[in-house]
Amino acid sequence: MIEINGDRIEGAILFAIVVALGIIVARVVSMNVRRSLAEKVPANELNLILKVVNFSIIAIFALIALPFLGVDLSGLIAAGGFAGLVVGFASRSVVANLVSGIFLLVERPIKIGDQVKVGDVAGFVEDIHILSTIIRTYDGLFVRIPNEKLFTSNIVNLIVNPVRRLEYIVGISYKDDAEKAIEIIRGVVEDHPFALKNPEPTIFVDELGESSVNIVVRVWCPSSVWFDVKTELLWKIKIELEKAGIEIPFPQRVVWLRRDRNEPGKDVPA
Amino acid sequence: MFVPIKLKKRDGKIVYERENVKKILPECEIIVNPVEPINLPKNITRFLEIDFSPIVIKPNGVETIYLKFPIEIGVFAKDSDRMIVIDVFAFEKPKFTLYGDPKNGVVCRWFQSDVYYEIPEVDPSKHGVLKLVIKNGKDWAEVGKVVLDCYAMKIYYDKFASCWAEMKILSKISAETTFVDKPIAEGMKKAAELYTTRRLMGKSFIMEWGLI
Repeated sequence: MIEINGDRIEGAILFAIVVALGIIVARVVSMNVRRSLAEKVPANELNLILKVVNFSIIAIFALIALPFLGVDLSGLIAAGGFAGLVVGFASRSVVANLVSGIFLLVERPIKIGDQVKVGDVAGFVEDIHILSTIIRTYDGLFVRIPNEKLFTSNIVNLIVNPVRRLEYIVGISYKDDAEKAIEIIRGVVEDHPFALKNPEPTIFVDELGESSVNIVVRVWCPSSVWFDVKTELLWKIKIELEKAGIEIPFPQRVVWLRRDRNEPGKDVPA
Repeated sequence: MFVPIKLKKRDGKIVYERENVKKILPECEIIVNPVEPINLPKNITRFLEIDFSPIVIKPNGVETIYLKFPIEIGVFAKDSDRMIVIDVFAFEKPKFTLYGDPKNGVVCRWFQSDVYYEIPEVDPSKHGVLKLVIKNGKDWAEVGKVVLDCYAMKIYYDKFASCWAEMKILSKISAETTFVDKPIAEGMKKAAELYTTRRLMGKSFIMEWGLI
């Protein structure tokens, strides 16, 4: 039979008040979380986050209020501490991925649809889950990267800026006119619609190489068509240089041989 | 103006052909008119930048100038009030540029024009006429370019295409540009637009990375 006395009733009332307060706080926090993450997180993940937030807050308030019911938390804390240690060890990577996922959602270094490079994986971001991120590589493979790994890796977002620069090194032979080659290359670049007018392309002789005079071509283009421009432009440059009779030489090395005086007819290395 | 399209009637259908484009249409009205110059070779931006020789404007001054702008030709199929775009082509080779810096700027279709103080003669297959009214603030200003949001472009045409825009100078390096929904001369007809549905996205553009 339950003993009803003043202390118990007072304790129960206090417990109820604290839990009710916890429910209100949980609702307010959930509402704010929903509002701030509504456009950043997919609906199914948002619901999961809201549930975790809601129940965690209520559980914390309930734990705080338990002593009002005369429950001694010291035993619970000892047991809970041990259980927490076990669960903590077991779920360390899950929690790390979860926390990294939350940081990724807040910091937003990548968005769904972006083209990114993470370590040796490059491709399109297909989805960002709370524990992992899905990349579709350029050759169509599905790659799941745990958010902890993604968060601690160098992320290269290939299209976050509106424009990107591409660079070629075009080698021409020593007998050809470099100024004429530069003029031809400039003409090809200016003719391409997506080779931007501003920032201006830069084309100059960069190096007198072992087998060729090396001309550097730097062109800015919209990030969304960077790869198209990169592939089209180089081939057009090659064709136009060849049309003008400018040679793109193979690597070559001049080797001199001399004959040994004592043994006529026998070649020795120079 | 020579329009390189072929329309043939076959089995109660209309066969539309232009170079490598071939489409079979139901019986409908075909409309050909100038459209916003941001579709070719592919749509990567909504902005058009026109560069011109810088003009200097007095404090609180208002200048009206005419510039040429590139046009593309849109072919639409129309039935009752509904239209669908069939094809877009152009006679002018496009070129693009960046307005602003590589981190925050915007990619724009680029065009270079002379400055005119009355409506210039244009090749109507390639260019239209933009009437630009520049309203200056309290200080002297120098303006050598205008960037416009083509999603809000209102083209009118008759013998040539035209549109009307205003540029309100906010400071030495910034201005607000807006299209005006009026023809620049009487008797011009409003062109069918490609981007009417996106009009809610804003009608003006703030040029904040310089006016020269």
